[in-house]
Amino acid sequence: MSEHDLTFDAMGSHVRLLIGEPGPGMDPAAEAAEQGRQFIEDFDAALSRFKPDSELCALNDDPREHVPASELMRRAVEAGIGAAELSGGLVDPTLVGEIEQAGYVSSRAGMSGLPLAEALAEAPARRPAGPSPAARWRSLRVDDRAGEVVRPPGLRFDTGGTGKGLAADLLAARLRGYSRFIVDCGGDIRIGGADALVRPYEVFVEHPITGERAHVLRLGSGGVATSGLNVRIWRGEDGRYAHHLIDPASGEPAWTGLVGATALADTALEAETLSKAALLSGPERGRELLAERGGLLVHDSGRVELVGPLAVAPRVRLPQTSNREGAWR
Amino acid sequence: MTEPRPATRKPGAAPVFWASVLLFAALFALLTWRFSIGKDPSLSGATASRPVQVRKVIKRRVVTTIVPTPGANTVTSGPATSSSYSSGAITTGAS
Repeated sequence: MSEHDLTFDAMGSHVRLLIGEPGPGMDPAAEAAEQGRQFIEDFDAALSRFKPDSELCALNDDPREHVPASELMRRAVEAGIGAAELSGGLVDPTLVGEIEQAGYVSSRAGMSGLPLAEALAEAPARRPAGPSPAARWRSLRVDDRAGEVVRPPGLRFDTGGTGKGLAADLLAARLRGYSRFIVDCGGDIRIGGADALVRPYEVFVEHPITGERAHVLRLGSGGVATSGLNVRIWRGEDGRYAHHLIDPASGEPAWTGLVGATALADTALEAETLSKAALLSGPERGRELLAERGGLLVHDSGRVELVGPLAVAPRVRLPQTSNREGAWR
Repeated sequence: MTEPRPATRKPGAAPVFWASVLLFAALFALLTWRFSIGKDPSLSGATASRPVQVRKVIKRRVVTTIVPTPGANTVTSGPATSSSYSSGAITTGAS
């Protein structure tokens, strides 16, 4: 059974679409992939805070409390509110000022981050992140009847914590009916199709420190996402290392004892939210957050910890692709 | 030649009718009374008067635990055996 494979750059990362056989009356896979690319590019154009002409920037600059918004924008705001609720305020979509203060003012796509090991050596004492006492996200609201986003003027919204997962899920909904498909938005992945249940996809988990494959998952449906500190690390104006995962309680980059978290869930959006929440929560609470659906935690030491169902799931030996013999944990 | 049968006297229709009604009423009254005191004649007296016994039926089952996984699929996982990525590999990592 053949699959159409399309890779392109969008949303500051690589996007990959694999689409199997169409159902009766559906477009050929190649056409669906092109439509998928167009959808992702439109999504990116509307919801990037790094594109001055985006709808998101217009929303954030709008002085009104009630701002007319497209359906896509309303779904994005809804996703941001949902992520904040699910994570108890840890994945907060209103930390635009804080992340800019940390130095993340423009897109870092294509920029190589500073070495994570060095950053970890200089990072402050580890502690779990916490929700912002102000909980500004609670004042965000979507009014679908009026077609508006409602928030206090000046409160800025960012899709950074949920955008890729949401994009993968929305595109996956359009691909329902194809025999199998995978939508990979920069590592936030959604899998579907009846055939994928029979022949699951192999998804490799990248180790944030070594860059090697830390683990492999065989998934027939649902979402998987990874959050990590390795890609976007820089030095702030004060000379300290900084990254893009902000502790809402302090408004500064979070150093929690974890450098990566991978989460499994029903949707990519949920997986993205869980992985961010787990990383921000630190090892103890992170383990609890991933316990139900399963996931991986990568500690500062580089140790990979399997959590929940993954820790007891049946293991498979993959075909060898090199002479190096892998050892089972 | 056969001899003619002696003539028999048939009862009248009215006495037969009233006799039937009386018999029916008598039997009906009897059954009603027995039901009312809890003695259903369709059940034997011994069964009806036997005290109800509650029995606990214990079934022994073999339970197979299925590891919960996303959606309806099965998840298997293992450490990767190679450090070099093939071009077709799907990878989840920070981006």
